[in-house]
Amino acid sequence: MRLSEEPVRRRTFRSILDSPSFSVIGRRVLQAIPVLWGVTFLTFTLLNLLPGSAAESLLGIGATKTEIAALSKKLGLDQPFFVRYGEWLGHIVTGHFGASLASGQAVSTIIDQRLPVTLELIGFAFFLALFFAIPVAVLAARWPHGIVDRVTMVISMLGLSVPAFVVGLILILIFAVHAGWFPAVGFTSLSQNVGQNLRSMVLPSVTLGFTLFATYSRVLRADILDQLSSEDYVVTAKAKGISPGRVLVRHALRNSLFGLLTLVGLNLGALVGGTVLIEQIFALPGIGQELIQAISNRDIVVVQGIVVVLAVAVVFANLLTDLLYAVLDPRIRYGRPTS
Amino acid sequence: MAGQPVELGVLDAPLAIESAFELPPNRFRLLARSLEIWLPVGFLLVMAGACFLWPVIHKIPSPVAADLAQPNLAPLTPHHLFGTDNVGYDVFSRILYGGRVSLEVGFGTAFLGLVGGGMIGTLAAYYGGAIEAVIMRILDVLLSFPSLVLAITIATYLGPSELHVIWAISFFAVPAFARLSRAGTLQLRESTFVLASKLVGTRDRRMILRHIAPHVVPPLMTFALLGVAIAISIEAALSFLGLGVPPPEPSWGNMIATGQQYLYSDPDLVIIPSAFLAATVAAVNLLGDALRARWGML
Repeated sequence: MRLSEEPVRRRTFRSILDSPSFSVIGRRVLQAIPVLWGVTFLTFTLLNLLPGSAAESLLGIGATKTEIAALSKKLGLDQPFFVRYGEWLGHIVTGHFGASLASGQAVSTIIDQRLPVTLELIGFAFFLALFFAIPVAVLAARWPHGIVDRVTMVISMLGLSVPAFVVGLILILIFAVHAGWFPAVGFTSLSQNVGQNLRSMVLPSVTLGFTLFATYSRVLRADILDQLSSEDYVVTAKAKGISPGRVLVRHALRNSLFGLLTLVGLNLGALVGGTVLIEQIFALPGIGQELIQAISNRDIVVVQGIVVVLAVAVVFANLLTDLLYAVLDPRIRYGRPTS
Repeated sequence: MAGQPVELGVLDAPLAIESAFELPPNRFRLLARSLEIWLPVGFLLVMAGACFLWPVIHKIPSPVAADLAQPNLAPLTPHHLFGTDNVGYDVFSRILYGGRVSLEVGFGTAFLGLVGGGMIGTLAAYYGGAIEAVIMRILDVLLSFPSLVLAITIATYLGPSELHVIWAISFFAVPAFARLSRAGTLQLRESTFVLASKLVGTRDRRMILRHIAPHVVPPLMTFALLGVAIAISIEAALSFLGLGVPPPEPSWGNMIATGQQYLYSDPDLVIIPSAFLAATVAAVNLLGDALRARWGML
């Protein structure tokens, strides 16, 4: 155990610059820059090098070579790869994602319209998952191999094993087809009718939330048990005579929530993928549905725009998670090794 | 220090939390433990046998030969164990052939990920330096892509086929495995036996293959089971969206997609393939869990 006292720091500008937390944060931010650049490059490369040109699919099967060439020239697709990449990168950095090849609508407008639906879905799903996962994990960790633990582990194993779109279909079958409580598909926007909007979001959010609940409850339970069995501060708390329940909630849970936080951040990428399927099943006009449409239309501008926005969002979420982690965990803040 | 036993009598009561953790082994518990491993293994072997061997040794209706006279038969009809679907395809036969796809994609991508990612991660960690930094950043880029979105994009552009699905999923299986094997190798690189081996002049190639790989691969194997489960789910998702195995060739995902249109009239067209999909993924997950618990890794 570390006995040396932390010296009193004077918070001058100099000391902030020299502080380990600043260098930790600084290093992490610097690391994100090449990743961000890489994400844009990979998006562009993947979508441009893969076979099947936008001009061909826009013109249909009967198009002649000259027609395709003319349209490619008009769309700027005949330029060399790096020229097009440079132009595109310059545009997206300034927030210009271009216009859809199919409809002519600006990609930023499309994203503006579609993203709120997806964010609402993700938000509800997060809320539901955490609302149930935290208490359930605490109870399961309090009495390992107890009844709550066993039931939770079975339910969460189901959640891990049954793909989200299957869960969605089963929920539709039970609650929409048989019980008729919720609409099976369709969406009413929040501004039109709040009640209807919530009703149409219940099944999709439960579907997505269930999958998240499965992961969160398992990881949180395992992490709490790990803290209880191996950390010094738990032994100290027990030695002071604090009751097991209190040690669990006030000491172990507080620390385990950090682990959960990381998971939530890192899982965001998978979550974004999951929403694509769920929007498809429940016919929600979110960004995932737009992406699938754009892909099947070979609307390369829209696909690029959406993929790059999603990927950048994931990079930022990961960055934010790491920074938050650094702020919350004093061991990282002061650059000490974590045990 | 963490992990040391505390031998103060005072602490016995609160430590009950821990003792509830590892119950003493008895015959029942040992049996339960071995069942945890052998039940899922047995299920997967039966599935594999049914999918790959049964159609060879026993004549079953072709999965793509529609019996137009007998559509929408209920399950348990004679000659059609799971009934027939809307155009008269035999559902049992489609389940078996679809299972081939799931198992091939699941184990195929996990294998590619294990070999490709394992090599990249081990080499990066072993040699270190600028190469490692560059490789790690590239992996970061790949990992920060929403995986399903990436798979959908690749699968669409390559065109629907089973092989393309395998490529698409491997594309982000490799970075995940690479990260893990790098972490494992980094620990080993500092270990005494590697140093000792270096002192006697072992060459890099032999060092990696004979000394490092045997330690890095086992934990990767249990992770690979998780990879199998994820790959099977993603294949089903892609096929469900019409981007995986092209109909009329069966896959559990595209069977569910077809069944979705008849959810009101004929829900077993969704329920049967979903049940097989869920059971297979669950078996793989349970096996992974049991092996991790037994070997105490990851």
